[in-house]
Amino acid sequence: MIDFAPGDELELIRATAREFAADHLRPGLRQHEKARGISPDVQRAFAEIGFASLEWPEELGGNGLGALARAFVLEELSAGDPGAALALDPLGPALYPLLELSKSDVTGELGQPLLDTPGSRALLVWNGEGRRSKLVNDRGVVSGTVPWVPADRVDLLVVLDEDGAFAVSEGIDLKSVRGSGLRAAGASELSLIDAPIRASFSDRSAAARALARARLYKAAMLVGVMREAAEFSRQYAVDRVAFGKPIAHHQALAFLITDMATAVDSTRLLLHDACWRIEAREPADEACATTYVEAIEQSMFVTPNGVQILGGHGFMQDYPVEKFMRDARALGLFWGGIDSAREDAGNELIGIDGPVPLSVEAQL
Amino acid sequence: MNLSIDEATQKRLSGIRAIGESQIRPIGLDADRLGRPTPPDHEFFGLLLKVGLGRSRWAGENAEPSDGEASKESTPARPGSSRSMLCIAEEMSYWDRGVAVSFPGPGLGEPPLLSMGTLDQKRRFLGPFLQPERPRWGSFAMTEPGAGSDVAAIATSARKDGDHWILNGDKSFAANASRADWILVWATIDASQGREGHRAFIIERDTPGLGDFVIERKMGLKAYESTSFTLRDCRVPDENLIGGEEHYARRAGFKGAMRSFNATRPLVAVMAVGIGRAALDESLAFAREHDLLGLPRVRDRLERVRRGLRAARLLCWRAAWLADHSQPNIVEASMAKATAPTVALEAASLGMELLGEVGARGDHLIEKLFRDVKAMDIVEGTGQVQRIVMARHLVQLPRE
Ligand SMILES: Cc1cc2nc3c(=O)[nH]c(=O)nc-3n(C[C@H](O)[C@H](O)[C@H](O)COP(=O)(O)OP(=O)(O)OC[C@H]3O[C@@H](n4cnc5c(N)ncnc54)[C@H](O)[C@@H]3O)c2cc1C
Repeated sequence: MIDFAPGDELELIRATAREFAADHLRPGLRQHEKARGISPDVQRAFAEIGFASLEWPEELGGNGLGALARAFVLEELSAGDPGAALALDPLGPALYPLLELSKSDVTGELGQPLLDTPGSRALLVWNGEGRRSKLVNDRGVVSGTVPWVPADRVDLLVVLDEDGAFAVSEGIDLKSVRGSGLRAAGASELSLIDAPIRASFSDRSAAARALARARLYKAAMLVGVMREAAEFSRQYAVDRVAFGKPIAHHQALAFLITDMATAVDSTRLLLHDACWRIEAREPADEACATTYVEAIEQSMFVTPNGVQILGGHGFMQDYPVEKFMRDARALGLFWGGIDSAREDAGNELIGIDGPVPLSVEAQL
Repeated sequence: MNLSIDEATQKRLSGIRAIGESQIRPIGLDADRLGRPTPPDHEFFGLLLKVGLGRSRWAGENAEPSDGEASKESTPARPGSSRSMLCIAEEMSYWDRGVAVSFPGPGLGEPPLLSMGTLDQKRRFLGPFLQPERPRWGSFAMTEPGAGSDVAAIATSARKDGDHWILNGDKSFAANASRADWILVWATIDASQGREGHRAFIIERDTPGLGDFVIERKMGLKAYESTSFTLRDCRVPDENLIGGEEHYARRAGFKGAMRSFNATRPLVAVMAVGIGRAALDESLAFAREHDLLGLPRVRDRLERVRRGLRAARLLCWRAAWLADHSQPNIVEASMAKATAPTVALEAASLGMELLGEVGARGDHLIEKLFRDVKAMDIVEGTGQVQRIVMARHLVQLPRE
């Protein structure tokens, strides 16, 4: 029967992530952005919790937890600082194609060194539909340029397209760029010049699964960012007085604030629904894609309005809301962005002949 | 966590699907075409009783606490019941929301009776709905010509006269009122007291002074009657004051009404999801038939509608799940109610765009859904009222 309770284990994970974000990420928000990186202290504290290997398979020494745990942690960390959340996760969404390699021992060989080295970074790059300039694989060596990656260091690059993925760890050249959002994770133009492929798979459904999970990763981060933008501006609106009462009590803002709260909750529910499908081993690619679309759309409703509610102060960097807006915008530009996700979700939908299910239904 | 529809509920849904297709939808289309509510003696209502529908949710006297205290509405008879009720309400509305409201049963009068009524009142007014030998209806009348959203402003007066009350006033848009065995009427003993002065009464059919029934003509949802009526020196016995005087002395009166809204809001919201889902399915079928699915513009908007409906359903489910666990759900219930109707309207409106001139003819199901669905953002608290309710909690918006 329909049940929204996450259970004790997930509650504990969420509380731990929330505390870490409050203690280590939020206070360093501007400092991490300026330094384009996370202080070693924070990195150490993060390593101690063990979130890096949250979804790393148990047989490889990880925690083997699922999509929901990841979503809970990412929401909390990103509510603190999404750039830092990216910087702290050594494997990031590159994990998902790596897991698809798991039939061999390549997953461990590629991933474990990163988990063992604080500050290291694996990056996932989408090279399929929607990418403006493609990386070219010429008989096992890859060349081309990615205009922006949220990193100043890349230990492992995983390149994913509709047909499969390959991993590269040499021949990667980074040129620092200014970056728009997520600067705490770094910002670079990435070039490959005849980079040799270390491992690869070609399997369309595995590739689709990995892409779906990568979308969900960013959607969970967007939920965290917009939750914080909504919450911060809500509190501000209660405290700030104009025309003789708190601005939150002018109906135009009161209703805007309720709609922002609704946007956050709706997106989170879609996120949890998609995660739950994955854990229940139900088809989930469409749910992941549509969740990413929702997260992007709603984040572009919530975070600019977060700035709006603070007025001129919102535009100034003394407050975090302008950063939430930039971070949210950047988080919506991955893996071919909103249009590519819409394409996949829409194509699944129009393939349905008969009633459209909204939820997973028990088979009779 | 489990976000799937379980097998038991699924079985009940497929039962509804069967009568939905063969009965509910055709009856709704009929009523729409003829522009009148389905008559009370329609054989369909008898059929519903035979399959166990059209009854009260009251568990009966044996399930009552021995001291006769009002049972708590938020505690369901069995785990999961509000959630499965939501699934069922959605499926019925998928086939026809107007027909679903026309179903016999105590209707919206039931929640206040369950939450505030004395055992004697439940026995007298819900008892006949336990094993009804004929279709029976109850009705709920809060709205007045001068008071809708602002429920505190109702002007129907109740004046004590010996062991009776004398009621005077006008009520608007009450569902199934002219065919009802009784109407639960909200009145005030002193308009200057606002909500504190509110009292709920059961007005039985044929009470002298109850009359002037006018079945309103509506844009949609024609299968059930939305009826206005007047109360002219209606004498109502003390025993029909819901909960008795003590209940109001504890200042529980208005809270009683509001609590029943918290329970019904997710239910009404999920009905909008049902209408929206019907519009989506019809739109998809029409688009396939007319080779529109290759157009990215069409496909994107269908995708958006499905996504919105899925999120709205989850919002409804969450509010019901909280209610089932006796947890506060005011914000969540309002969130669901504020969201689902607009998504469902978008679904129907998109359907009209896909149909084009075929929609403009006025004889396509989607066109009917487009008219039906608008009411969902008005009944049980408008979208604006839901936002006010949420804002009271989120930003401490003061009451006027
Ligand atoms: C099909 C149908 C069935 C119904 N069935 C029943 C029934 O069975 N029993 C019953 O009692 N009633 C019933 N109603 C009545 C319904 O509950 C009311 O219509 C509804 O509460 C709105 O009240 P109103 O029509 O007086 O609009 P008003 O309250 O006059 O509202 C007009 C507009 O002003 C907005 N508004 C009002 N106050 C504010 C505010 N403070 N801030 C911002 N905006 C505001 C409203 O949202 C709305 O958009 C039914 C109505 C319909 C359409």
